[in-house]
Amino acid sequence: MSLKDTLRSAQPESSGPLVEVRNLEKHFYDNDNIIDRLLGNGPVSIRAVDGISFNIHRGETLGLVGESGCGKSTTGETVLRLQEATDGSVQFRGDRVFEMNGDDLSEFRRNAQVVFQDPYTSLDPRVPVGQTVREALDIHNIGTKTERNERVRDLLERVGLSEDQFDRYPSEFSGGQRQRIGIARALALNPDFLVLDEPTSALDVSVQAQILNLLADLQEEFELTYLLISHDLSVIRHICDRVAVMYLGEIAEIADVDTLFESPKHPYTKALLESVPRAETAERDRDIETLQGDVPSPRNPPSGCRFRTRCPEVISPNSMDIDQHVYRELMHFRELVENEEISVHKIAQDAGISESATELDSREQKAFVETVKDEVLDIELPSSHESTVNDAIAHLVDEEWERAATELRSEYESICETSNPQLTDDEQPVACHLYK
Amino acid sequence: MKPILRISDLSTRFFTKSGQVNAVESLSMSIDDGEVFGIVGESGSGKSVTARSLIRLIESPGKITAGKIEYRNAEVADEIEDSNPEAVDGDYVDLAALPEDVVRSLRGPSFSMIFQDPESSFNPTLTVGEQIAEAVEVQRRASSNPRSVKSRTSSSAYSLRSYAYGTIMPNRSYVSSESKDRAVELLQQVGIPDPEERVDEYPHEYSGGMLQRAMIAQALAGEPDILVADEPTTALDVTIQAQVLNLLRDIQEETGMTILLITHNLGVIARMCDRVGVMYAGEIVERGTLSNIFDEAVHPYTKGLLGSIPDIGSAGGRLQPIEGNVPSLMDEEMGNRCYFADRCPKAMKTCLEKPADLSVDGAKEHEVQCVLAKEEYDESDALDPGQFEGEDS
Ligand code: SF4
Ligand code: SF4
Repeated sequence: MSLKDTLRSAQPESSGPLVEVRNLEKHFYDNDNIIDRLLGNGPVSIRAVDGISFNIHRGETLGLVGESGCGKSTTGETVLRLQEATDGSVQFRGDRVFEMNGDDLSEFRRNAQVVFQDPYTSLDPRVPVGQTVREALDIHNIGTKTERNERVRDLLERVGLSEDQFDRYPSEFSGGQRQRIGIARALALNPDFLVLDEPTSALDVSVQAQILNLLADLQEEFELTYLLISHDLSVIRHICDRVAVMYLGEIAEIADVDTLFESPKHPYTKALLESVPRAETAERDRDIETLQGDVPSPRNPPSGCRFRTRCPEVISPNSMDIDQHVYRELMHFRELVENEEISVHKIAQDAGISESATELDSREQKAFVETVKDEVLDIELPSSHESTVNDAIAHLVDEEWERAATELRSEYESICETSNPQLTDDEQPVACHLYK
Repeated sequence: MKPILRISDLSTRFFTKSGQVNAVESLSMSIDDGEVFGIVGESGSGKSVTARSLIRLIESPGKITAGKIEYRNAEVADEIEDSNPEAVDGDYVDLAALPEDVVRSLRGPSFSMIFQDPESSFNPTLTVGEQIAEAVEVQRRASSNPRSVKSRTSSSAYSLRSYAYGTIMPNRSYVSSESKDRAVELLQQVGIPDPEERVDEYPHEYSGGMLQRAMIAQALAGEPDILVADEPTTALDVTIQAQVLNLLRDIQEETGMTILLITHNLGVIARMCDRVGVMYAGEIVERGTLSNIFDEAVHPYTKGLLGSIPDIGSAGGRLQPIEGNVPSLMDEEMGNRCYFADRCPKAMKTCLEKPADLSVDGAKEHEVQCVLAKEEYDESDALDPGQFEGEDS
């Protein structure tokens, strides 16, 4: 039996998903900040991954897409047990990964491999590439030395390099070639499952295309299952069968690739797709409704739906008669009030109120309110909402932030703030209160 | 109208220990006033070096070795005429013929640059507002007396970082309350929320997207004629990239500023540009309007780039990559042939002679540096694929 066959005589096939992730959590604790330590503050938890569930079926490519800090890479590493999960479970072929040890664990490590983003830092510059590819075979003590070397030569050819490059050092290879070496290394033990963590993000587009084609070929030839982590929606569309969209540690939506790109449901998925500039002449005249603001910090994620601070479709209270655009602006304004982010003094100045004034007369009061509306709110309020908002703003004169916030909250609080939507249990699971 | 920038036969080389690198090779192009011109290319194509050559941000061992970079500005031409008559031709000033300190004095009022990585253009120990206000002051002084700027910034150390810091004096206060007010105004203009408060914050208190906006504010402080934007959104997430691109479009529309945009991303080009030059191995190999490049490309490299991008509009299918790797640009390895010949699926024997460079003044037309611009592909004349074997790995 050849070495390849030895490696292949893998596991009995069972039905069901290859990988099942349930309520996976990974929190980091950050108290490395000297000020926090001096003040004796406890560690701050950063919920990088905060309770996500998904399956990966045999032979498919599941994409995890999202922006930086959404937790997609941490998810990949935690699934592979390269990082210890805070909570939740991962099953591989029905076996609980976090409970494995000894032979089970070593078997899992053979079967589940990873390809990293950066082909420059992930290869040891002092080790010839053939030896790097062979390393896993050495560790798992598989075959004779001659057999191992033969397998490595085979793999190098298979990923588009030549076998006589065995003894060369990483510095002699281009970025794309190094990524091929990284792939050969991941394939050495003939795994079933590969986590591809931004495998082409460091590469030029012409070389990226070579690597994407190679990954597709290898998947077919070796019946591989992929978890592809990427921020690049074009890459995701090109090679995934199904896609999970992540935002601030949670999954916003999962669907098969065509459904997700052609009829996205979650407002974040829609915004993400709309944001990508397309390489075609019509792009110049496309109207792009951009999202407001930045992604909030995972140290202090928003209550309720994590996307609500940027969501263009945030839901107004039942039966409230209000234009969506006006409501969205009011939510944004409330955010500023809640975080005390309005320069009251500057506004008083602009309103022509003298600094020494202690008590404002009604004219000054009015001028202040109008100036806030003018400079901060920046929309025409319908008359039905004017008095509530005016009253609340008037509290800011005396810097009564809490009071202003409470009044606005009691009137305008959204279900998107009070309750975190869960993924729906249907064909196109989506976590948004618009879908129930 | 005459172009605001006219580059002819520009060559920039790096004289490294392992040899001479021809980063930009006899490049010609021109840009109209108020135009957004894009240069697209992969790493090592020379696109960033081209941008940096314009404002003389080439660090040793790099050097502009040939060519003219003519910038049209009658006032500047007038001022410079006395000290550097050889650099002036009518309304045009040849930046390549000016001493470094004079070029540097034009940064701000004539040119500004924004980079991929805003952290490198802000001094972490000064507030964002102080740094923008300082750029405003530089502009004020420059417009009243150009020489004062020259003397103040004539340090010899020379790097991107010192470019940024070079326009900023290391003192911790505002020069005047007007410049602070202007800084607030600029922050407002680039969409920083609550600019009156934010103006007093330090760079590390800004998110990546906000710092990128602040860098744009700083670049606008001098009211430059030309903004050079080198991969301005590459480090940003896609939703933030969309915000920043919209911002740049709005500013361009409001001010009529000319933008030279350098990027590897053809989507960004399509969103922003009027015309595009595609760079490969230090040369612009194809140049034209957006539709010339996206719909009527002739050069096999341009076609290859377009074919390599996965289509976000449809799933699956096979990509058409360009085989092989980008050449090294080492002088002794380049030879005198079409630099794309070793990767080109249409290479013919005639390609072993170098196709003619693009012109400066034919700039309005669709121009291609490739034999296919003039003759049909002839299979019987095809180059043997083994021709370049052993040239690279
Ligand atoms: S739950 Fe509310 S805030 Fe969240 S995505 Fe849906 S509509 Fe938007
Ligand atoms: S000149 Fe020849 S080798 Fe070069 S791009 Fe054109 S066809 Fe290809």
